[in-house]
Amino acid sequence: MARLEDLTPAMRQRLTELDSPKYDTSPFVTGGPLARRRVAIVTSAALTARGERPMLPGENIFHELPTSLAAGDLVMTHVSVNYDRTGFQRDINVAYPIDRLRELAADGTIGSVADRHYTVMGSNDPQAWGELADRMVTRLKDDRVDAVVLSPV
Amino acid sequence: MSALGHLIEQRGIATTVIGLIRLHMEKTRVPRGLWVPFELGRPLGEPEDADFQRRVLLAALRLLDRRDGPVILDDYPEEAPGRLPHVGWVPAVTLPDGSVPADDASAWDWARALEAELAVVLPAWDRVHAARGRTTVGVGRLPVAAWASLLCSFLGGQSTGPSPVPDLRAIQAARYVVDDLKALYTEAAVAPGALPSSQQVLDWFWDCTVAARLIRAVRKACLASSDKVLTIVGGNQLVPSARVT
Repeated sequence: MARLEDLTPAMRQRLTELDSPKYDTSPFVTGGPLARRRVAIVTSAALTARGERPMLPGENIFHELPTSLAAGDLVMTHVSVNYDRTGFQRDINVAYPIDRLRELAADGTIGSVADRHYTVMGSNDPQAWGELADRMVTRLKDDRVDAVVLSPV
Repeated sequence: MSALGHLIEQRGIATTVIGLIRLHMEKTRVPRGLWVPFELGRPLGEPEDADFQRRVLLAALRLLDRRDGPVILDDYPEEAPGRLPHVGWVPAVTLPDGSVPADDASAWDWARALEAELAVVLPAWDRVHAARGRTTVGVGRLPVAAWASLLCSFLGGQSTGPSPVPDLRAIQAARYVVDDLKALYTEAAVAPGALPSSQQVLDWFWDCTVAARLIRAVRKACLASSDKVLTIVGGNQLVPSARVT
């Protein structure tokens, strides 16, 4: 379904013409085996704890999601109405795979699950995310994270 | 997310990106990426299928063990079975037979029609909520009883009162109430254990409910407004582009 040819013409055109950033650098950080990695999730679903103000478009902020936060305490506040939410309604892991990550840590496939995960508003302009990345990486390093899996919506 | 992956990697932490739009991953030259052939909103592919999700997540994480980068872009080979319609699925809600207000009906008529429909949908949603133990309703932070009057207040093309949510403009509050309305209906329609495709659930909502007709009427009124914020929010943030009629 996310093949461009499967989308409506308007969506296809918008996504094709979206100005993706291009970088002069090609970073590539290597590390230990997966079984020793400490992994965090970053999702663009603009998740917030129930009762918080929704993340607004244009706000270059991230929210932290403690691993212990219950699925029932999270709501999705992404500004776009053009993607499916019925999957997330049935199972949070289809967009924020926190339970799957816990299982992979429990069976030794990964080293451990980070204490905190992160969420941003995916529709924002990534050209303005440099400072946001600085702050997020500081928090990730504080948590001894050495691998991040990014999950879009 | 490809861009954020690049920025995090640039700052010294290894990343692997699950991506839904391959073109964006190619343009950004993501350090490590797994393109998945799933619908937007479902990067792990299949709700309520832990084995399927685990295979996707593991395929993304395994890229961290590779040394042949930078720029690794793999394609995930498996389709999500839930993309196909589930034969025989019926919504867990039987909508009332009441008449649907005309496009030019009064705000009062629209509010009564929505309230009558909600009276049927809410018990079904209560049952589903109790069985699942969670809900995604609550983005708008307003009680259900306040939804109809807030939405219908925009049928005249302008906000007629102060925002009921202190940290948002009234149209923003209404926009999140629309999110809650859609979530309440589509949650109510899917009984635990049922496996409809998203298309089936959304066809039911957008083609059969008073709520969807009201949302479209609010969008139309907002687009005709002289208030630029209403035209932007109403035009882009209430009805999916595929459901604009």
